[in-house]
Amino acid sequence: MAKILPKTIAEAIYSATKGKSGSNLGLALKRSVKILENKRMIGKSKEVLNALQEIIDKKEGIVRMKAITARKIGHTEQKKLENEMKEKYKAQSIVSEFFEKPELLGGIRVEVGDEILDATYKNKLRQLEKFLIRET
Amino acid sequence: MSNNIVENLRKEIEAFKIDTQTEKVGHVMEVFDGIAKVSGLSDVKSSEMVSFPNGETGVVLNLEEDAVGVIILGSFEKIKEGDEVKATGKILEIPVSDSILGRTVNAIGVPIDGKGVIKSTKSYPIEKVAPGVVTRLGVDQPVATGIKAIDAIIPIGRGQRELIIGDRQTGKTAIAIDAILNQKGQNMICVYVSIGQKDSKLRKLEARLEEGGAMDYTVIVSAGASEAAAMSYIAPYSGVAIAEYFMDQGKDVLIIYDDLSKHAVAYREISLLLRRPPGREAYPGDVFYLHSRLLERACRRNAKYGGGSITALPIIETQAGDISAYIPTNVISITDGQIFLESDLFYKGIRPAVNVGSSVSRVGSSAQIKAMKKVAGTLKLDLAQFRELEAFAQFGSDLDDSTKKQLERGKRAVEVLKQLQYAPMKVEHQVVALYALTKGSMDDVPVNKIKEFEAGLLDYTERHAKVFYKEITESKMWTDKGEEALKKAITEFKSSFVK
Repeated sequence: MAKILPKTIAEAIYSATKGKSGSNLGLALKRSVKILENKRMIGKSKEVLNALQEIIDKKEGIVRMKAITARKIGHTEQKKLENEMKEKYKAQSIVSEFFEKPELLGGIRVEVGDEILDATYKNKLRQLEKFLIRET
Repeated sequence: MSNNIVENLRKEIEAFKIDTQTEKVGHVMEVFDGIAKVSGLSDVKSSEMVSFPNGETGVVLNLEEDAVGVIILGSFEKIKEGDEVKATGKILEIPVSDSILGRTVNAIGVPIDGKGVIKSTKSYPIEKVAPGVVTRLGVDQPVATGIKAIDAIIPIGRGQRELIIGDRQTGKTAIAIDAILNQKGQNMICVYVSIGQKDSKLRKLEARLEEGGAMDYTVIVSAGASEAAAMSYIAPYSGVAIAEYFMDQGKDVLIIYDDLSKHAVAYREISLLLRRPPGREAYPGDVFYLHSRLLERACRRNAKYGGGSITALPIIETQAGDISAYIPTNVISITDGQIFLESDLFYKGIRPAVNVGSSVSRVGSSAQIKAMKKVAGTLKLDLAQFRELEAFAQFGSDLDDSTKKQLERGKRAVEVLKQLQYAPMKVEHQVVALYALTKGSMDDVPVNKIKEFEAGLLDYTERHAKVFYKEITESKMWTDKGEEALKKAITEFKSSFVK
């Protein structure tokens, strides 16, 4: 028998629950859990949830952004960054998380999905180092 | 002095421009035996290079639905789960330049001979589509290997792919090395690709080539037995990329893959680790394509497309003479002929241990000079008949005269085709020796004295039949005048030898 991937289960759950609400939604979710149990995939529930999140994000145009800076940035700057990213990825809405990492020295690093924009001083210094020790 | 350093550094820093762009990254999910499974990297291409945080390079081999399989070129011990992997957007390529000649490099073009860095301005992709039909030209120029048995019976042409196949310890590498040594002054660049060989063997070979002055026109690409399977897998492609660099300059290149059995084994290892389904002998389904796409890159290009050629001599090691195993049959069918070496012949003292019956060159005599064609024309048939008669003659002693004559001639032919290692012979000498043999001049020389006779004859004729040698060198064929001079010299030498 072919192996069932967490992604496949997630897709099935998404189409089963789509447009439902109230008790109908509750029933569909309960059945989904039952299927996971029957297929012995409860252990993989984390992967299934992640896959489901990804599907929902894609269908509803949600973009998740992670911004890392050396020092805390202000609210207006956060909004500005969010708007810019929203425009770049043509997203309906944006879910953002902000972190601080002093070892970045300065600048900002933005992660969206598997795309990264690294404009931190640390990265620039690394590039300078590479440039200076290159073989000519 | 210190002022200079400050000034130079300032200039360097001024020349540095930072280019901040979005990059595609992935994260390592698992690492094992030189393979990494990486999530993310959504736009990555097959065969694209990726870089790991510790500076190691990887190559994408498997594109799956939600992960990619990467082979790691180098050590994988320091790569851990969660590491960030960056896509480079470049298909795997190696640096090439003219100064690579005489050097030994590893599978990714990094010198390993301790002679310093190789300056290069160009890079060549290691995977390339083979030249198409319109760019090609028929094979009609010989590659002189300097080995009588090969040049006379199984001639190799420029742009041909000739397989060297045989059990272990039958002299496969020896033929390849002799062929390289004989390319001195023949306007040929040689690339020797060593796959999964012992480093001691490589060192010995390198020393031998240096001694013979062959390193001036040779590049060695090595993926040693202690290196990862990924290096063995890409080494032949790197070798042919270097060969293509020289071919693009209109030069003729001879490339030797030593050996493709180990290459197939390395690929099998990688494929199984990447969980590709195993097929016959546990090799993956595309093992034929693995070798066919490599060997198709050997070609002779016509002048309109820049000329030049790549002649490939792949080597395959068989187990107990079984040429019907999977990899040998595959490579036999891809190449334009094979040189089959046999351990029985080797132990009988017939060296090079070429089995003339099973060896063929499908390009054949069009890659021979006229003179050689003339003397070697019937040699292959004679030898085949001799082998048959030899077996038959063991049963009965009553043989007619013509059979006896054929047997005696065959014995002498076998003797003439024997040749020491590292002693390649000039084509003119080969023609003279075979002329003397086929015209019956050696028939009354005792078999155990044939070698001595041959050596003396070559020396004598070189001094006394200069006309003949001049004709062969200049026009690749003799005239009646030359032949007359040679005949006379042979008769003279023979009368003094028999005394």
